[in-house]
Amino acid sequence: MGYNIVLAGVGGQGIITSARILADAVLASGGNVLVAETHGLSQRGGSVVVHVRVGDVEAPLIPPGMGDLLIGLEAIEAARYVNLLKPGSPITLNAEVQPPPLPKITVPSLDKIIKALREAGYTVYSIPATTEASKLGDARSMNTLLLGYASGLGLLDQAAPPEALADSVARVIRRSSIAVKAFWHGFKLATAQSMTTLKRQR
Amino acid sequence: MPHEEVLAEEGRRVVMLGNVAIARGALEAGIGDAAGYPGNPSSEIIEAVSVASGKLGSPIVEWSVNEKVALESAYGASLSGVPSMATMKHVGVNVAADPLFSLAYTGTPSSIVVVSADDPGMWSSQNEQDNRWYGVHAYIPVVEPSGVQDAKEATIEAFRISSEYGHPVILRTTTRVSHTRGVVEAGRIDAEKLRPRGRFTRNLERYTLIPAHARRLREDLLERWDRIEERLSRSSLNKIEGGGDLLLLGVGLGYRYAAEAARLLGVEARIAKLQTPIPLPSSFLHKALDGVSKVLVFEEGDPVVETLLKSFIHDEGLDVEVHGRSDGYLPRAGELGLDKAMRAIGALAGVDPGLPSPVEPGLDLPPRPPALCPGCPYRGVFPGLRKAVRRSRVEPVYSGDIGCYSLGVLPPFRVQDTIVEMGGSIGLANGIAKTANGQIPVAIIGDSTFFHSGITGLVNAVHNRNPMLVIILDNRTTAMTGHQPHPGIDVGAMGEEAVGVDIEALVKAIGVEHVRVVDAFSIRGVEKAVTEALDYVRRERRPAVLIAKGSCILVALSQARRLGIKPPVYRVNPDKCRACTVCYTAFNCPAIFRVEDGKAKINPVLCTGCGVCVDICPFDAFEPVEEPGKDWILLMRTATPAGW
Repeated sequence: MGYNIVLAGVGGQGIITSARILADAVLASGGNVLVAETHGLSQRGGSVVVHVRVGDVEAPLIPPGMGDLLIGLEAIEAARYVNLLKPGSPITLNAEVQPPPLPKITVPSLDKIIKALREAGYTVYSIPATTEASKLGDARSMNTLLLGYASGLGLLDQAAPPEALADSVARVIRRSSIAVKAFWHGFKLATAQSMTTLKRQR
Repeated sequence: MPHEEVLAEEGRRVVMLGNVAIARGALEAGIGDAAGYPGNPSSEIIEAVSVASGKLGSPIVEWSVNEKVALESAYGASLSGVPSMATMKHVGVNVAADPLFSLAYTGTPSSIVVVSADDPGMWSSQNEQDNRWYGVHAYIPVVEPSGVQDAKEATIEAFRISSEYGHPVILRTTTRVSHTRGVVEAGRIDAEKLRPRGRFTRNLERYTLIPAHARRLREDLLERWDRIEERLSRSSLNKIEGGGDLLLLGVGLGYRYAAEAARLLGVEARIAKLQTPIPLPSSFLHKALDGVSKVLVFEEGDPVVETLLKSFIHDEGLDVEVHGRSDGYLPRAGELGLDKAMRAIGALAGVDPGLPSPVEPGLDLPPRPPALCPGCPYRGVFPGLRKAVRRSRVEPVYSGDIGCYSLGVLPPFRVQDTIVEMGGSIGLANGIAKTANGQIPVAIIGDSTFFHSGITGLVNAVHNRNPMLVIILDNRTTAMTGHQPHPGIDVGAMGEEAVGVDIEALVKAIGVEHVRVVDAFSIRGVEKAVTEALDYVRRERRPAVLIAKGSCILVALSQARRLGIKPPVYRVNPDKCRACTVCYTAFNCPAIFRVEDGKAKINPVLCTGCGVCVDICPFDAFEPVEEPGKDWILLMRTATPAGW
C-alpha cells in the first residue's frame, strides 16, 4: 500500500511546503504521490496534519495504524497524530514544544513526550531543528532541515533520493539558499548521529 | 508565484492541487470568463485562473461580491455566448440558489459550469451539506471527479456536456479532491479561445421567465433532462472493471477508497466508477448491475446515489440489495476513509478487514485550536470591546459571523454568541434587538462579509429602527480564505486596478447617524469608541456602526518584505514585569509565553511587531528592541493584498 508519511505540526511552520517538496521530489524520481492538506481555519496557528502517500495508491488519507513515518515539526502535534502510524514506526522530531496559546492548560515537557512515545514502542529520532536552522541564519528553514534529517536517516529512501529532495527544495522555495543548506545540514547531523549510535552499540 | 503550475507545458506531468487541476481543465476547455467568491475549499480555483490570466491576458476573472452575484455574472457572460465558470464553497450555493434554479430553465447559448466545493468533515465550514441534491432539485447534471487528474478531465467533460445541451452543469468537488495534490498530465490550452468575444442575442421567450414562458420552458427542461441522462451513460468519466456478484459503486472520490480497499483486502468484486451521479445514468447502471446481487455505495456526503439507486432498482424490478451510508455499513457523518471502506467491504464480503490497532502513547495533550495570529488587528479589538461593555453596564449579545474573527468564540475572548452564516451577525441582530428584553445586540462582522451580505441587514436595521451596535472589522482583505481582494479595496482578482467602495460613506448613505472609524490596534481607542456607541444605541434606540481599521498582519508583513520595510520586534523588560499574566491570558498573544516565575517573555520568531502589547500591559513592561519606523506603523494600517 505504498509508503505513507505523516507530517504534523503547528500552522505556519512550513508543513505544506515540506509536503510540496516531498511530492515534487517523488515525481522527479519517477514515482506517484498524493498529498492531502489542511487549509483555511486550521492554518491559523492550529494543529496541522498533512498526509503524503507515495507509490501505487488511490486514496488521499492515511488510515489510523498504516503510516510508515511521522515527521513532527512540533512535539505535541507529533504525539497527537502518532495513532496514524503502524506500531513501532519511526518518528523524526523537531525537539521543541510550542505551548498552545490557551489560558489554564497543562503542557507536557519535551522529555515526557519523547519518553511516552518510546514507551509506546515508537522509534524516536529527535533533533533541535529550529535552533540548528537559526544558526544557519533562518529559523524558518527548520522544515527543510528536518526533511534532510529524515533523509539522512534513510527514512525517505522509499520516496526519493537525497539529491532529488535537495533539488526539489531549490525548486519549491524561493530564495532557497539557506533552505537547501539546512537540508544538507540536517542530513549530516543524521549521519553523525547514526555513527554515534553505531559506536555505542559496538 | 503560487499556482503557476496551472500553466504547465502541454504533455508535462506536474504535481498540482485538485483546485488548480480544475482551473487547468477550465482553461483547456476554453473558458472566457470566471467569477467566484472565496471560501474553503474552493478559493484556489479562481486564484489559479487569475495566475493564468495574468500571463495570457485572458480569460476575464473576478472576485465577486458574493456567490449570487458570481453566478449571475457567469450567467450573463454565458448568455453573451462566452463559456464561463462560477466557483464557490458548498454553502455559497445556498446564496446563489435563486439564479441557479432559473439557469436550468433558460439555459444559455454557450456553456456554464458551477463549481460547488463541498466540505465533508467540516474542516472549515458550518455544515456538511451535500450539493448533489441541488442537481436533483434544480434539474442540473452533476459531475463529480474522483481525484486530481480526474478533476481536470471532469471539468473538461462538464463544459462539453454544458455546451452540447446549452444547459448548466454542476461540478461537485470535495475537500479531499480540492485540497489534495497529485500528478496531472497537462493538456492543450488554446490561448486564442480564452479571449471573450461575446455578443448577447435577444431571445425573449427563453430569457424572460414570465409565467407564460416559464411554463413552456419547464416542459423543455424535463425533455432535455432525459436526453442528458442518456448522454451521461456514454460519458468517458464512468467505467466498470472486474466481475463478481458484489458491486462496489464508487461515486467521485468514493471510487478511490473502494478500489484501494478492495485491493488491500484481496476481495474480488466488480468496481464501478461513477463520476456523473446526477441524473443517474440508467444504461450505465444496467451494465454495472448485470449479474450483481449486492451493491455497496461509496460516496462523500449524504446517501444521494444510494437513495436514487434504490428507487431505480424498484422501478426496474431488479432484485439487488443496496448498502452504504444509510444502513450503517458506512458512517452517516464525516469523511470516508480507507479503514471505513475496508470495514464495510469486509462486513459484506465476510472477510476480516485485518485493520491494525494503533498504539496511543497515553499522554494528556492540550488542544490546539486555530488562533488569531500574533499581530492580528482583532486581538486588540476584542479586549477593548469587552472592557467598554463592562463599563457601560449593558448586557450584550455578541452576534458573530464567518471569518477569522469567528475565532473570537474561543477563550479568553468569548465574543461570539452566535455564528450561523455569512451576514448572519447583522441579520440575527435585527430580531434580537426587537425581542431580547434589556439586551443589546453587538454584531461583529468582517469587511468582506459585510459586502457579501451584511449591507442588506443594516439597511433593514436603519429602516426598522432596530437598536444594535455593528462593528465592522476592516482588515482590508478576505483574510480567512487566503487574502483575496474584496470590493472595499482598489485591487481586482488579477491584480488590476479596481474601485474601492468606501465602507464609511456607504454606511452613512444607508442612513446610520452614529458612524465612527477607529484604529483597531488601539485598545483604548476601541474601548472609548464602543462606550460612546453603546451610549448612543441605548439613548436613541437606533443602530450605530463602528469601523475598526487595521490591516491583516500577514498582508502587512508580506508587503513589508516586498518594500524592504523591517517590522520591529518587542521584548519584555523583566524588571518591570510583575507577572500579572494579562498579556498571555486575557490578551493571549501566541508570541508571548509564560516563563517559570509567571513573568512574560516574547518569542521573537513569532512576534510580528504590532506593538499592541505595549497598550495591554499595566506596568509598561513591553518595549521595542528597536523603535518601529513610521513606514511600518502606516503599513500595518493600510496594507492591502496585491491581488491574485
